[in-house]
Amino acid sequence: MLMPKRVKYRKQMRGRMRGNTKGGSNVAFGEYGLKSLERGWITNRQIEAARIAMTRKIKRGGKVWINIFPDKPYTKKPAETRMGSGKGNLEGWVAVVKPGKVMFELAGVPEDLAREALRLAGHKLPVKVKFVVREGAE
Amino acid sequence: MARGRDTLKAAPRVEFGSRTSRRLRRSGRVPGVVYSGGSEARPFQVAEREVRAVLAGGQALFDLELEGAKRVPVVVKEQQLHPVRDSLQHIDLQEVKLDEAIQAEVAVELEGAEVSPGVKEGGVLEHVTREITVEALPTEIPERLVADVSAMEINDTLQLSTVAVPEGVTLIAEDPEEVTIATLSPPRVEEEPEPAVEEEAELVGEEGEAPAAELVGEEGEGAESGDSGGE
Repeated sequence: MLMPKRVKYRKQMRGRMRGNTKGGSNVAFGEYGLKSLERGWITNRQIEAARIAMTRKIKRGGKVWINIFPDKPYTKKPAETRMGSGKGNLEGWVAVVKPGKVMFELAGVPEDLAREALRLAGHKLPVKVKFVVREGAE
Repeated sequence: MARGRDTLKAAPRVEFGSRTSRRLRRSGRVPGVVYSGGSEARPFQVAEREVRAVLAGGQALFDLELEGAKRVPVVVKEQQLHPVRDSLQHIDLQEVKLDEAIQAEVAVELEGAEVSPGVKEGGVLEHVTREITVEALPTEIPERLVADVSAMEINDTLQLSTVAVPEGVTLIAEDPEEVTIATLSPPRVEEEPEPAVEEEAELVGEEGEAPAAELVGEEGEGAESGDSGGE
């Protein structure tokens, strides 16, 4: 599962997710991509689930790129715990995604298969997505 | 290149800034700028539908007719698109002289992938370089260059030197032998069930304790003593 190998600080503040993505809004490596239309935290499990769904669909051949990396730790307090007593335990890792970000890319498969594979991958994610084709490759 | 050049009609822009530009976009127009070596840049506004129509034509070179100025040949230097909606936000045009060679990015397309023996065997054709820089007179810039991959077999690599270039067009690459256009790699072996099992095992270990990621430097957080003290 994706997570950083080493980090400087174990816990982070939640932060804001204002505005649209600054970069990564075009298909850069493959021919097709899955673009986020909403903002959110994508956990490493969701990324893995999407990747598995995609690679199972395309079976053999094709190439997959994952353009997001879960480098933000998130914490959670145990159930039935009173508030206070410091920040909670580390729960997992997330990637911060803003609208417009191309999260996954695919190449080397026909468009209809790519569309279906990315649709299945999109169902594993907590944001609305759309299928995009590389600019000039219609 | 048989048909005549498209013409884009634009009006000069006198008000600037993000608020004005936002209002402009809301009214279906796009801000832009045209510049050339020597003269000053001229900001303009144009209907988005008209720009789209001209750009969809696929011609690298077209004419810009600014109100109150004569028609000039231009090429697109940069386009800014909205990250979500993909609508045009701003366009940069560069005025060119028709008798002076310019450098431009041209798309490289692959042809004959369906009949290539490597693809038939299940190989994955990867398009590595999709755009290359060429130098030519503005009227001779090709819409695209075509690379023939019909003879490629698995583990073959197609270099830029094998791409046919029309007369009058020069490739701007230090060594075309070194630029890879496409590769045909063997099919990916399926690594299906393993990761799924591995994941579950990893999750359990991860949940119980601190993250697997190693801390760099000291943060002074000796142990997570404070969190589970709920009573």
